[in-house]
Amino acid sequence: MQSETPLAIQVQGVTKSFLGQRALDDIHFEVARGEVHGLVGKNGAGKSTFMKILSGAQPPDSGDIIVGGQAFKALNPAEGRAAGIAIVYQNPELHLDLSVAANIFLGAEPRMALGIIDEKAMARQASELLARLGLNLPVGRRLGDLDIADRQQVAIAKAVREKAHVLLLDEPTAALNKAQAEFLFNLIRDLARQGMAIVYVSHHLDEVLAISDRITVLRNGRKVALVDGKGADKEGLIAMIVGRTLDAVEPRRLDKPRAEAFLVMDGVSSEGGLDRVSLEVAKGEIVGLTGLIGGGANALAAVIGGLDHRHVSGAMTLGGRPYAPRAVREAIARGVLFIPEDMRGRGLVMSLSIAKNISLAALRSLSKLGWLKLAKETGVATAMSEQLDLNPRAPSREVRFLSGGNQRKALLGRAIFADGQLFVLEEPTQGVDVESQRQIHDHLRHLAAKGATIVFVSTDLEELIALADRILVLRGGRIEQSLSPEGLDPQQLLAAIQTQSTRSLN
Amino acid sequence: MSSPAATVAQAIRKPGGLRTLDIGRYTLLIVLLLIVVVTAIGNPRFLSVNNLMNILFQVSALGIVASGQTILLIAGGLDLSVGAALSVAGLATALTIMSTGSVTLGILAGVAAGVVVGTINGMLVATNRATPFIITLGTMTFLQGVAILMSGGSPINGTGKLFDVFGLGDFLGVPWPVYAMIVSILAMFLILRFTTLGRYAFAIGGNEEAARLSGIPVRRIKIALYALSGLFVGAAGVILTGILDSGLPSMGTGYELRAIAAVVIGGTPLIGGRGTVIGTLGGVLLLGLVSNSMNLLGVGANFQSAVLGLIITAAVLLQKKT
Repeated sequence: MQSETPLAIQVQGVTKSFLGQRALDDIHFEVARGEVHGLVGKNGAGKSTFMKILSGAQPPDSGDIIVGGQAFKALNPAEGRAAGIAIVYQNPELHLDLSVAANIFLGAEPRMALGIIDEKAMARQASELLARLGLNLPVGRRLGDLDIADRQQVAIAKAVREKAHVLLLDEPTAALNKAQAEFLFNLIRDLARQGMAIVYVSHHLDEVLAISDRITVLRNGRKVALVDGKGADKEGLIAMIVGRTLDAVEPRRLDKPRAEAFLVMDGVSSEGGLDRVSLEVAKGEIVGLTGLIGGGANALAAVIGGLDHRHVSGAMTLGGRPYAPRAVREAIARGVLFIPEDMRGRGLVMSLSIAKNISLAALRSLSKLGWLKLAKETGVATAMSEQLDLNPRAPSREVRFLSGGNQRKALLGRAIFADGQLFVLEEPTQGVDVESQRQIHDHLRHLAAKGATIVFVSTDLEELIALADRILVLRGGRIEQSLSPEGLDPQQLLAAIQTQSTRSLN
Repeated sequence: MSSPAATVAQAIRKPGGLRTLDIGRYTLLIVLLLIVVVTAIGNPRFLSVNNLMNILFQVSALGIVASGQTILLIAGGLDLSVGAALSVAGLATALTIMSTGSVTLGILAGVAAGVVVGTINGMLVATNRATPFIITLGTMTFLQGVAILMSGGSPINGTGKLFDVFGLGDFLGVPWPVYAMIVSILAMFLILRFTTLGRYAFAIGGNEEAARLSGIPVRRIKIALYALSGLFVGAAGVILTGILDSGLPSMGTGYELRAIAAVVIGGTPLIGGRGTVIGTLGGVLLLGLVSNSMNLLGVGANFQSAVLGLIITAAVLLQKKT
């Protein structure tokens, strides 16, 4: 069945356009059996489109996909699966109410007489399969009770059960912590050793460099480079991704925050998990919050932003006046703007335009007796788009058509327009390309220089070091350590986060 | 796509530039045109001014109810109790006129009944986790009982001047209920397009959590929206009472489904976040035209219901493509 070529999948001259705009231009691409092939590029470079074509979710306009010795003009998802291609998204598409075993065997359940599913055989086969992959998952558990890392492993196990020999992984570590990611990398290496071809798509260049045998770089829908994973370095990759050389390390801000305290917290505890946190943040200061998942960084942001207001004890002042928001809108009225990590689920209104999303938190300033000043709104949105380098500069465009980086900018624009004095952000640049990340960092530095105070939660070590004036590491709902990013390197920061976890285990 | 249809579709659309092909927008127009052509060939009387005015007159109460329902669907809500509420409002009007002799008090009673019912629905929806569908299904059943209790099971006849105006009266050859419908649609158009309340409805329907995190008082807005829809229902109850010259416990039966159908046919998705009241007008006219054309073509009453159901289903299925 398998041809003599060692290639698992080969793509020849694939081209795809959307409404006259070329998303992919004459892409040649191949992955050998047993190879881990990294795929990198900015948002909008064509990675997602390419993955969709590989998995059969979308047909190319022209070109061939050769898989298992068979050439396809276009694959549909069923053909893709039959040809042995499986795709696993960062949030795997599985059935949360079914058991682990049922998910793995969905559509191919072992059966007894009368077509009744043989639950015992299914559980046994699932256990065997998981054991073979070195995975330790409870086969009988409802999938919805497992975390994202486990669900991803289930999705991969399902792909193996389907005898996939090409595995597409789309941003697999986005929702994982370091330990979970390490586990995943080992699993990927194992699968590759067994002959599986793996396409690994990620914004995390360090990961891609660490795991890939070869790396394909896409830019503006073209393949600009195919490099050897061992010989490549990060600066070189960034240069190829962006198209011009960038300094590997972002310059830190030069100005210093002012001395006056703006936000003062005194022994604040919360239902969300804060434990007697005391904290002073100066006007114009940028404070980074980090820690392991559940350590309290997000809980602290929720209390400051007015999201978590039930059973909050202790005292807070803002600008010298008592601050105890009982709802998000009371926080906004005091100039505290919370910007969530999940911008699609909690941030933007996808059915509305850029302008309407930017104005949403401050419609009162754009209306009189309940009547909107639409012309003024358009003007404000245009000015904000310019200020934030929002692309495209078309305020009437619906935000769902924007790239991730531009969507984050629109969200930031909303907070700025709502006259924010204190910005509380969660993972401000997650899932964003390198260039947009820099721009967003620059905007935040600029806001701080003008006197705004910024508190952000991040798990991105480089981001914390480049952006923050002070890094607070939280653990068990308390601030365990305050670090100066000056001269701090990512390893040290990571060590600070990790040592605490072991210490508390003792 | 032929240019006249495209032009009309453009007029319906908000200015905002051409986007992707909006097939669903054209579907409604094409179906409307098809019905007009087929019926006109089958019965030339269909296109007479008299008959067209008759259609508008017949859908006027529906148009008012559907205008109010539009903003609820845009906000991700739904009110199944509008039909029963319409009966209650109509009976409140008829009973008040009967006992006080005052048409003004009767109108006030009907409108107030609509607003009160809407507000209660709004409070229930805003403070409960249950879906609007279930909550208003409950209030619908309750209000049907209330309507029967109010009427004692029989019609409340005689509305005096209310009948003279809404049942018989016209201005420049156009019956007064038609003006009422036009005013309702215009009012909803202005609210949706030019007020903060309208914008909040779009935001809540599009992403309720994002609306909350933007400081929008989501609960209060929801209550206001249901109360607003109730105002429209109350007005429709008053007008329908005038048209019928009586209040009936069954006068609003079926209005909830036809109103929701009109809104959805008009391009407002049930999940909310977008929609237009001009589209709703199109949906209302479609329903009116279909009933009228079947009457003129001599389709029996039993067939009419089935055909109407088919058209609603087909229109909604085609609409999903947008």
